[in-house]
Amino acid sequence: MRRKLIEHIGSIAFVALIFALVILFLKDREASDRRARAELVAPYLKLPSVDFGNPRDRALFRETLDLFRPRSRAANDSLMKAIEAYRMAQFTDPGMKTGTGDRGLSWPAVRRLSGMYVRFIIVYAIVLGLTFYAAQTLAMIRFVRMKQGRSSYCAEFLGRAKAWNRPEAGLSRRAGVVPVLVPLFKALAKGIAYAVLFSPAYVIGYALRAGFEMDSVLFMIVLGVVSNGLLVNYANKFYTLLVAESRKGYVETALVKNLSGVYAWNSPEGISYRSLLRLPRRFPGHVLQHVYLNARHQYFPTLKEQASFLITGLIIIEMALNIQGHLCYELLQNILYRRYDIALTIILGIFVLVKVTEILVDLRQHREERRYENRG
Amino acid sequence: MKIAANTMARIRLAFLSSQHARWAVLWFAGMAVLLGWDLLFLNRPALAQIQTALLNSLVGGFLVVLFSMVLGWLSALGLHYLEQGGNRTSYLLLTFSLNLLRSLPQIIGILLGYVVLTILILQDVLRAPILQVVSMSFVVSLFVFLEVSDLIRERIGHYRALDFFDAMLCCGIKESRIINTEILRKNSLAHLVHKAVAVFGMAVFLQCSIDFIISVGLSTEVSSTNFPATLGSVLARMDSKQDILAIGMVFTDVSYITALAFRHLQGINIAFIIVFTLVCTYNIANGLVRRYHL
Repeated sequence: MRRKLIEHIGSIAFVALIFALVILFLKDREASDRRARAELVAPYLKLPSVDFGNPRDRALFRETLDLFRPRSRAANDSLMKAIEAYRMAQFTDPGMKTGTGDRGLSWPAVRRLSGMYVRFIIVYAIVLGLTFYAAQTLAMIRFVRMKQGRSSYCAEFLGRAKAWNRPEAGLSRRAGVVPVLVPLFKALAKGIAYAVLFSPAYVIGYALRAGFEMDSVLFMIVLGVVSNGLLVNYANKFYTLLVAESRKGYVETALVKNLSGVYAWNSPEGISYRSLLRLPRRFPGHVLQHVYLNARHQYFPTLKEQASFLITGLIIIEMALNIQGHLCYELLQNILYRRYDIALTIILGIFVLVKVTEILVDLRQHREERRYENRG
Repeated sequence: MKIAANTMARIRLAFLSSQHARWAVLWFAGMAVLLGWDLLFLNRPALAQIQTALLNSLVGGFLVVLFSMVLGWLSALGLHYLEQGGNRTSYLLLTFSLNLLRSLPQIIGILLGYVVLTILILQDVLRAPILQVVSMSFVVSLFVFLEVSDLIRERIGHYRALDFFDAMLCCGIKESRIINTEILRKNSLAHLVHKAVAVFGMAVFLQCSIDFIISVGLSTEVSSTNFPATLGSVLARMDSKQDILAIGMVFTDVSYITALAFRHLQGINIAFIIVFTLVCTYNIANGLVRRYHL
């Protein structure tokens, strides 16, 4: 465990050092670039009789340049472009404006970013907790359905539609078409749910933009949980672990030793919805208890990659939906306006968040493993 | 006649019993229906844009798979040989670098990669669109290849623990041949194909997301329009965004749903292609898991 901790802390220190060096290099280069640009155009901008805001003056200046330096038309072009770019930057570049507050990484900027960072951490923690719970719940429901020998809703619908004409199959015409159509509606609902769960956040976000407040924390949380395929993918991972665990030898032994292996919903020896939904999940006297606990033990380390993917999802939400005043929107804006010092600080903050999650997961896993090995 | 009927029955059985094949066929069928609909109701310039964007996204996805496989294979074998060779320092350094890459959220890494691409475009280094697609795919693959690397390491580790590995070494077969041919090609192909499908889905998702995000631009001189059109960048255009916004109208006026399929076809089309491709990819990967008991 100590080796892992050293690796985590070492990587944080390494990235912080690299970013600090990059920030110093960029600041130095930016200042020298700006100076060079200003030095190049300054003599021309000081010409008393030329107003570069006036198109006629610009054209006259250009012709004069061509007259003086007829062999270097390309250089004249570049000079005109540089003058235009400099003049435009005087209006658009916050770095050249006066009275716009602090421009680089300063204490007020850090304080402002800290507030956003704390809000980002809160949203992240809530979404991580919710997806961890929901992924396990969905996987358990799918696992129990598989154990019940249930086929897909589409297959169920086709089976019932075929049996509808045959009274010996249990579905008579007198019951109407409703029992036949129910699986079809369920299949449709499942299809819509899949479409939503797999939709990138910006598709759902823009579709709901008219009716919801985009910048509310609640909206972010809901979108973070249901979009980008996060829930489906991690539910699938947990389901795979449950299936793999259920094939192991100890399950057979447990069944022989009289633990229940009935997977019917809400039957005395089966699985109740309540025990499936509540926390902590308990299935006393049922083999699922052991399958679940062992699968959960293996699933826990995937929280590390889930954390990284979840942050990817949150970043997509904040950036793509232009949610102003949020950390990742700020990151994009800072990249756009080349304030790389602030951008790299935000990225470092996000990296530290992932690393802290990894450390917590590793610590918890280490403690559990000690307990499993009767060392803790 | 009987042979034809038998063949049809066999195809039907194969189609019904293998989820991955079913979903692959479903994807092609879905795309064909969509194309038919677009030919009837979507204007030609928009259709051409969508076709180019789809092609670029698919080519990008395949390139990401290719790069990820190569990078994953190289890093896994590198780690394996460094570990076996007792080169502890190099092994730790490589592990450290890979773990560092793993901890960086993919979208951040890709965003940083796109900043570099933007600089290269500004300096006229990356001019040809195909070169831009290749470099975009390479950037994406840098942040997804670790899954392939982990899988290959896991497969090598699994077979190393069996007698078969040592037995082959005793027979004088080279370790590289055991790993590349016996373990990876002969015994892990299904796993690799499954991973390739999953990586493809991830690549499409990440590429669309990053192209949508950078629609505001990564520099004041370069925006997503400087990159080749992909599904994400076409979806980020104002008219497509308006189409997606129109979905919200259905909540207040249900009858508007019919207008979506005719009046707001461009945005709805792209959103459908993205979501449908992701759903199909997920189901194909799941089908492979079920079929080959991965």
